[in-house]
Amino acid sequence: MRTRSYMVGLAFMSPALVVLIGFFFLPVVLTAVFAFTNMSTSTGISGGSYVVTGNLLTALKENGVPVEIADALSKASFVVDPEGIAKARDAGTDPAFLAEIEQQLGGRTFTDERLFERELKTLQHRPRSIRDLKLAVDQFELSILNSRFTSESAARQAIATFLPSAPADTVDQIVEASYTGWTWTTANFKQLFSTSDTWRIVLNTVFYVAVTLSFTVFVGLFLAVTTFYLPAGAASAFSMLWLLPRITPIVLYAVMWKWFTWEGGFLYTAADALGLPAFNYMKGSVPTAWTIVIMVNGFIGAAFAMILFSSALKAIPVQQLWASEVDGASRWQQIRYIILPHLRWPILFVTSYQTLSLLSSYQEIWLTTNGGPGRTTTVWALESFNTALNSYTGNLQYGLGAAMALILVIVGVSLSIIYLRLFRFDELLGRPKIEF
Amino acid sequence: MTRNYSNWPIILVLLLISAPIIVMYAFLLVDTVTTSPPGSAIPNGFTLSHWRFLIDPTATGDVWGPTLTTILFTASIVLIVLGVSSTAGYALSRLNMPFRRFFLGGILVMHAFPLVTLIIGVFLVLQFVGLYNTLTGVVLVKAGLMLPFGIWIMKGFYDTVPWEIEMAGVQDGASRFTVWRRLILPQVRPGLFALALFAAIDAWGEYMLPRILAPSADFEVLSIYLNTVSDPDSTTYNFNLFKSVGLFYTLPILALYAIFRDRLMNIFGGGTKG
Repeated sequence: MRTRSYMVGLAFMSPALVVLIGFFFLPVVLTAVFAFTNMSTSTGISGGSYVVTGNLLTALKENGVPVEIADALSKASFVVDPEGIAKARDAGTDPAFLAEIEQQLGGRTFTDERLFERELKTLQHRPRSIRDLKLAVDQFELSILNSRFTSESAARQAIATFLPSAPADTVDQIVEASYTGWTWTTANFKQLFSTSDTWRIVLNTVFYVAVTLSFTVFVGLFLAVTTFYLPAGAASAFSMLWLLPRITPIVLYAVMWKWFTWEGGFLYTAADALGLPAFNYMKGSVPTAWTIVIMVNGFIGAAFAMILFSSALKAIPVQQLWASEVDGASRWQQIRYIILPHLRWPILFVTSYQTLSLLSSYQEIWLTTNGGPGRTTTVWALESFNTALNSYTGNLQYGLGAAMALILVIVGVSLSIIYLRLFRFDELLGRPKIEF
Repeated sequence: MTRNYSNWPIILVLLLISAPIIVMYAFLLVDTVTTSPPGSAIPNGFTLSHWRFLIDPTATGDVWGPTLTTILFTASIVLIVLGVSSTAGYALSRLNMPFRRFFLGGILVMHAFPLVTLIIGVFLVLQFVGLYNTLTGVVLVKAGLMLPFGIWIMKGFYDTVPWEIEMAGVQDGASRFTVWRRLILPQVRPGLFALALFAAIDAWGEYMLPRILAPSADFEVLSIYLNTVSDPDSTTYNFNLFKSVGLFYTLPILALYAIFRDRLMNIFGGGTKG
């Protein structure tokens, strides 16, 4: 009955599996796949089409496509073929006139519009008005320039009918260059590794994570230890106070920090009254911007650390502390030799957990300094997000953003696997006690 | 322990490092009902005019539509998270199945791994399945991103239920489903409640997902509404107004927090009890 018990387990798991595959597994795979494409707003997400534009031809001429071929492609020609006849019929041209065209000129090609028109004017059933004649002429026009082909073969065929003499490799080059959809490429990674901007953002990220993490751990530790020694009333007041940043919705939290640091805000007014330099501290200078970014994130992290440390402190046998007091230990010695050793695992946990979430967090920075002034407080995750989903220029580079995110995903997953080893994952795995 | 020292220096230091929080939250409350002269932070008059937005949609636009949407948004997320976590947590805690180790490790990695990184991938998934710019899409994504945490927490709660209850049920001929539904689920009710609270607070505060995954949709949640109102380029730029809207938006969370603080404390640590 082993399979039966397997079925029960999987049935209980299935709703979670569906959601997790959809919103974890697939996004990771897609991030990895699209990191190797040049996908952006201009290429679109689904496939593209083939369009030869004037700009493209100019570029192709510079890249070795013979000038006469490029020029020929930019001209229109007029071909009398069944398709053109059918199009003209739909456009409302006199059927008698069309029959005559087909009979007299069938299969001929004109490279010049005026020549074709003159030829048509010699026909018996030609329309009276010039407008109708022009309309008929337009239907036979065959132009590569700016027309959209949905498939590669359609584009090739059009070029072949247009320029039967063009060499195959030139046609390949033109077709490839005319594709407007996304293509596979490793250019994203080359670009990342070659620009100096990348290294600046990496440095920013390392600085941000290291300083915020130290702030989180030290403030969290200080809060936990001091509230541990304070009378219950004061302790719970402070712990309630420090939980506020953690439960406040992020948008309001950001607005409050803006009020605190912007022109006309609290610090500004206070500094102004005291005669200190008053400016928009969040955006006005690099050191103040960093300080605020670190505090905005550090306060949330410190609350998290405080809860963990406090609950670990409650687990210390109180007799140990009494015994140490009897032996004449000072507060500092108690903290150094009893409390800190007890907090080793929680500190390690907070450090590892916060490293990961700081590495990938950008909400707080996005809503406060948004990486400014200039790009001085831009971190990797924010840059990746801005590149892919929030560009000011309007061209969202999904491919490049995905490449940046992929690096973050790889770093994140490796770190979390290391942490799992560290925290002895195997001990968490109890075997089920009912086997069918 | 003896009091071989005085408390006030510590309290003073604590007050000092807590000063930004104290100032910000004190003024959040005070500023919504007072006016202050330009160039000063000290209020000099009482007014209710900042709360005008509740009845007068001309100031900031209608606030009740977004409120209803946010309630709907939060409720759906809580339901999905509770439903899926309670079954999956049970499976991971008690049931035998293939790849159990792998699932558990996967959930833990996902729990540890920050999910915002996946937003580009999630964006593409929603584009492909056609849920981009819909409330359904955002609800599913938000619930999905909370699941690893929820499953892990629920697994922890199931782990504390004695095996004997289950064995007795199975002995009496009940199916595993009945055992779960009738015997085990009532045992973990406190866990479900704590998870629901946590999910509600988290969903209520969500800003990023609706903003990115449904930028031009015809619904608006309160976080987006607040951010639009507090746009520095808007004509009615006024911190007291933002704070009133912000306080209105945050009151439900503060209320939940005040009432259920102890239950929330258990779960805020991040389910680290294993």
